[in-house]
Amino acid sequence: MNRIIDFALKNRLLISVLAIVVFAGGYFSYKNLPIDAFPDVSPSLVQVFTVTEGLAPEEVEKYVTFPIETSMNGLPNLENIRSVSNFGLSVVNIYFEDGTDIYFARQVVNERLQEAREQIPEGFGDPQMGPISTGMGLVLFYYLDDTTGKYSLTELRTIQDWIIKYQLQTVPGVTEVLGIGGWEKQFHVVVNPNALLRYDIAVNDLVDIIKKNNLNVGASFIEKDAEEFLVRSVGLATKIEDLENIVIKSEDGTPIYLDQVANIEIGGAVRRGLQTRNGIEEVISGQVIKLFGTNSSTVISDVEKKMEEINKTLPEGIEIVPYYEQKSLVEAAVNTVTNALLQGITLVAIVLILFMGSIRPSIVVAVSIPFSVLFAFIGMEYFGISINLMSFGGLAIAIGMMVDGSIVLVENVDRLKRESSPDENFIHIVAKASKEVLRPIIFSIIIIITVFIPLFTLQGVEGKTFRPLAYTIALAMLGSLIFAMLLAPVYSSFLLKKKRKKTNGDKQKENLIIRLLLKIYNPVIKFFVKNRIAAVVLGVIIIIAGIFLYPRLGSEFTPQLQEGTLIVKITMAPSISLNESKKTTMLIEKRIKEIPEVDETITRIGRGEVGAHTDPINSAESFIVFKDESMWRSGITLEKLESDIREKIEGFPGILVNFTQPIQMSVDELLEGVKAELAVKLFGEDLKSLKSNAEKIAGVLRTVRGAEDLQIDQVTGKPQLKITVDRHAIARYGLNLADVQQVIKTAIGGETSGQIFEGIRRFDIFVRLAPEYRNNKAVIKELLISTPTGMEVPLSQVADIEEIEGPRQITREQNQRFITIQCNVVGRDIGGFVEEAQQEIDAKVNLPVGYYTTWGGQYKLQQEANKRFAIVIPITLLIVFFLLYSSFNSMKNTLLIFINIPLALVGGIIALWLTDQNLSVPASVGFIALFGIALQNGMVLVTYLNQLLREGIPIDEASIEGAKLRLRPVLMTALTTMLGLMPLLIATGTGSEVQRPLATVVIGGLFTSTILTLIVLPALYKWFPVKVRTGEM
Amino acid sequence: MEKKNKYIFLVIGIAVGVVLTLAAVTFFGSSSDDVHLGEEVGHTDEAGEEHSDGEHSEEELVALSDTEINELGIRIDKVGSKKLQMHTDLTGEIVPDPDKLAHIVPRFAGVVKSVYKEIGDRVKKDEVIAVIESNESLVTYEVKSSIDGVVLDLHMTPGELIGDDKHIVTVANLSSVWAELNVYQKDLNRIKLGQSAQIYFNDIENAVNGKIFYISPTVDEHTRTATARVRLNNSSGYWKPGMFITGKVLTDFVEVDQAVTLNAIQNFEGQKVVFVKDGESFRPQPVTIGKTNTNYAEVLTGLNAGQTYIAEGAFVIKSELLKESFGGDDDH
Repeated sequence: MNRIIDFALKNRLLISVLAIVVFAGGYFSYKNLPIDAFPDVSPSLVQVFTVTEGLAPEEVEKYVTFPIETSMNGLPNLENIRSVSNFGLSVVNIYFEDGTDIYFARQVVNERLQEAREQIPEGFGDPQMGPISTGMGLVLFYYLDDTTGKYSLTELRTIQDWIIKYQLQTVPGVTEVLGIGGWEKQFHVVVNPNALLRYDIAVNDLVDIIKKNNLNVGASFIEKDAEEFLVRSVGLATKIEDLENIVIKSEDGTPIYLDQVANIEIGGAVRRGLQTRNGIEEVISGQVIKLFGTNSSTVISDVEKKMEEINKTLPEGIEIVPYYEQKSLVEAAVNTVTNALLQGITLVAIVLILFMGSIRPSIVVAVSIPFSVLFAFIGMEYFGISINLMSFGGLAIAIGMMVDGSIVLVENVDRLKRESSPDENFIHIVAKASKEVLRPIIFSIIIIITVFIPLFTLQGVEGKTFRPLAYTIALAMLGSLIFAMLLAPVYSSFLLKKKRKKTNGDKQKENLIIRLLLKIYNPVIKFFVKNRIAAVVLGVIIIIAGIFLYPRLGSEFTPQLQEGTLIVKITMAPSISLNESKKTTMLIEKRIKEIPEVDETITRIGRGEVGAHTDPINSAESFIVFKDESMWRSGITLEKLESDIREKIEGFPGILVNFTQPIQMSVDELLEGVKAELAVKLFGEDLKSLKSNAEKIAGVLRTVRGAEDLQIDQVTGKPQLKITVDRHAIARYGLNLADVQQVIKTAIGGETSGQIFEGIRRFDIFVRLAPEYRNNKAVIKELLISTPTGMEVPLSQVADIEEIEGPRQITREQNQRFITIQCNVVGRDIGGFVEEAQQEIDAKVNLPVGYYTTWGGQYKLQQEANKRFAIVIPITLLIVFFLLYSSFNSMKNTLLIFINIPLALVGGIIALWLTDQNLSVPASVGFIALFGIALQNGMVLVTYLNQLLREGIPIDEASIEGAKLRLRPVLMTALTTMLGLMPLLIATGTGSEVQRPLATVVIGGLFTSTILTLIVLPALYKWFPVKVRTGEM
Repeated sequence: MEKKNKYIFLVIGIAVGVVLTLAAVTFFGSSSDDVHLGEEVGHTDEAGEEHSDGEHSEEELVALSDTEINELGIRIDKVGSKKLQMHTDLTGEIVPDPDKLAHIVPRFAGVVKSVYKEIGDRVKKDEVIAVIESNESLVTYEVKSSIDGVVLDLHMTPGELIGDDKHIVTVANLSSVWAELNVYQKDLNRIKLGQSAQIYFNDIENAVNGKIFYISPTVDEHTRTATARVRLNNSSGYWKPGMFITGKVLTDFVEVDQAVTLNAIQNFEGQKVVFVKDGESFRPQPVTIGKTNTNYAEVLTGLNAGQTYIAEGAFVIKSELLKESFGGDDDH
């Protein structure tokens, strides 16, 4: 180990060059790293969407979802398949194991999709994979502002679909642009059934006739002399007149044109969503989705640039107005940590200067910060970690720790320099000083890196959130280790040399602050060394305080990252119509708009183009855009505004309100799983029977002690008009079932009959009865069906028409329908609850054949996490213990240093309690970090005490003198770490809420452990001395 | 080391070990112990509690302030008597009145000498339409119109030889026409003689009223429809035979004591309900429905005349009552 120092000092130039290489490499890595706001916690998932116009959930499930699901079974790395069959839309989520390459996953899914396509009946939709993106992919939303007010919603949507979308999709890093709102332009053939009757034409015939009259064909070529002429026949309809003039029949030589039986007009496609603004109007909006793995900031700026270009080409008065973009969030998040980082560096530098008393050693130490950080960047690029709140936060946390190794080393050099005679070769002094402390430095840094191991075992969202942090801390610490081993001695030899001449080895040269502190410390340490029991009592008191306070802490899961954008999620009755949904939403928008700080509210209802959202029309998401903060009333905060909004709309009848944020929302949509502690999933076939058995299970659960917040999934609630064709009746008229159903489909639902091309823009021709002939049960009964004998029979004579309540959507998992019963457990052990509940249910509920339950929920995840931690943490502690042991070669020393851990934990608890914070995942991360950080002080001190002891100084005196001499490095390392974290503690910017608990715990823990290192440790040292051997250690 | 020290060393070692283990287990065990149902579910529960209060008090009540009623566009009305008109829509076509239709057949076969009228010309009774030379007598005779009317059909040109077995001219008096309506079997028992019908072509704004004066005694064996006829005045010439028309037949006209708007009736928990005012609040009242037309429905049981009910916008109240149930499955 000592050879490293010798090598470094011998090859100072080489080492300096290496340092420059790391600096340069780090800088370039930094430039290359993608920048995100938060770590992406989206699961590895491929979504398959199938739009099936007009089909009810049951049919979607049967004809579309099921074939897709079954074809996906047995894929490599497959974790789970979940599906939702909604009205007109099937979504199959195929979850892969974490870390599966997204392109690999898409490729295997795509292969199987070919099979699935063959299974799906013709005309029931074509399954498509979702965009290559994640929950963080929705980077920019915009709407079209029409200041002229003369463009229709259809025209604006056409501009969106055929101008804006196409151009934005060319921006590198944009994988998809999805439009919503307004009406997609269609050519509507609005059929008058009475006219059809008059000319004896069935509505289905019209569909075929239109198709046959709207074609271009190619007929190869003819040769004329030496030339070739391509032959093509042009007959595509391009305008309304072309359609109107289609001859549908010829009666005695008199042609009957399409416009005699139908009105042909420009209309809007059937829609399952729309977008409103400020409660006054409908708008057209678009969502830009970025490609997986691209740099959000770059993509967004490119998109914004492109938008400016597009704006110039749009018709006068129409403008693209972005209302949400992730860039500001990314900037805010990165700013928060960058500020913390810079403030941390400043504070650390101040501490260094104050304690070192001079600039030069401070510079040597301070250089370790950029070195370690840039080293970490190289590592981040290697591991593919993006710059984000957590990874950058890791660096901010590590700021104070990065310098510790160098501090100890430089401080020792400084001290030895002062003690040594002026004639001694300075390089030798540096080498000696470095060698003295190298071992504890290496071990303490390795220990810090080691304690972060448990974080790498975190799973799911927490894992994805905190792993980048663990990575960067570990990387930065590794960087600081390299710096301390190689560069710090070299730089010391360069920079500290000159100073030596002036300092004449005079101990009085200790600087003022240290002297002052020593004055206070001296009597204290003497007292405790003399009265060891007092030290023990002090330690015990602190531990008892911790045990006493611990249960008083509240607990929460990971605090929610504040994105700075608020979304009000509104859920309405499942049976609601889109118009009613729009009306309700606009009223709510008006209410929200009454708050003066609200600039705009833009609400998406249901879904637009498929790819990102799959919400039904009873769900609306309102984006609240606030005015610039300078215009807010005084004393208004985001939290206050949130509660104001809540107050405004909470009482609105018939809706449920939730608050969420853009990224949170889209990630939540992708994540599977239940939010309650306990979820019983009942799998089975029949929806009715599922429902009734779920109710039985819920009934039993309710009687088990501790069950609270019990809930059953609501699977029904969407009204249906069910038309059951009477087979006997149709037999009498010589009809086939399909004849009747085809009429029902075309007449009521409508049917696409080819397309009209306007240049490259293409618009569907949509054939459907005029609204008054299909929009209520009474007129649907009157729908006429032509029979083979040429007569017409009303639908009600051949079919039963009834109103029933059907499923709102059908959810499936692992190829089975299921229903979830969820609850929380209060006041008792959840394991016991589950056991009791399972017994009760087995005894009381008789499930039909093929039905089964699975028990899961958050508790399961936690149990698994706890189980993992229960193994990993002791192992980690054991490793740390062995590291310590191999550093000191003394069991007693090791144990003595280990005392720091409980004392540090207590400090963390006290700090949380004082600052009114809860135990949370980031706080736990802080405690884990403490395991490592807290040991550092003790190691520094004990190493030196051992040294003094070996020099033959009596143990009491050694304890006192050693503690006094080590006051400076111990305080410095502790203070730099604490002050390095301080900015995170007081930061209020985006993302600070996640790091505050962590910083609190570490600072608190470090505080108690430092005090104890300085007081209790020297006092107890007598009981844990190293065996004094003669010779080298 | 003395034994005593070893002892202390042991105790402290154990203490540290125990504390560490405890700490490790409790921190990481409990940090996520108390995760509650997520936000959404949480809110649902709040809402649920509100309502469960309502449920436990014997009725489900929804209170609305006047401003809310205004804002939501809810219309309130009183249950009262209404004259309900019930209609049946029938399709059909305009045909000439057979009593005023003359099919003129030449008396003798012969050669057409001259034709004075064209299709669409008005003719008076006894006005000459054509002159024909008889094949038998080789004398010419005049073909005259037997009634006042319009020439609907004319099958001859000068020089053409025509027989005496087919009509050559059709003259119709279209001052009144018939609307022949097709009555499907299912409607037969409702369509009666004397019922008034609004006959219209394309839009009901231009409908003309008439009465059903005839219903065919048999049902056509091909179309399985009976025919109902309405006589229409056509002095303006608006109705043209062959026109496809719709007849809105007033099949019933009753005065009911308790009527509510059709939109007031909501499906709620498997029942038909009307939301009625109860104190300051509204509650769902199950009802049975009698006769209905396109706007109103007769309430047979459940309501009393004079009760205040929600005529328009009842859906909001229903949603409010069902609110606790629809946040449940939000997992996509």
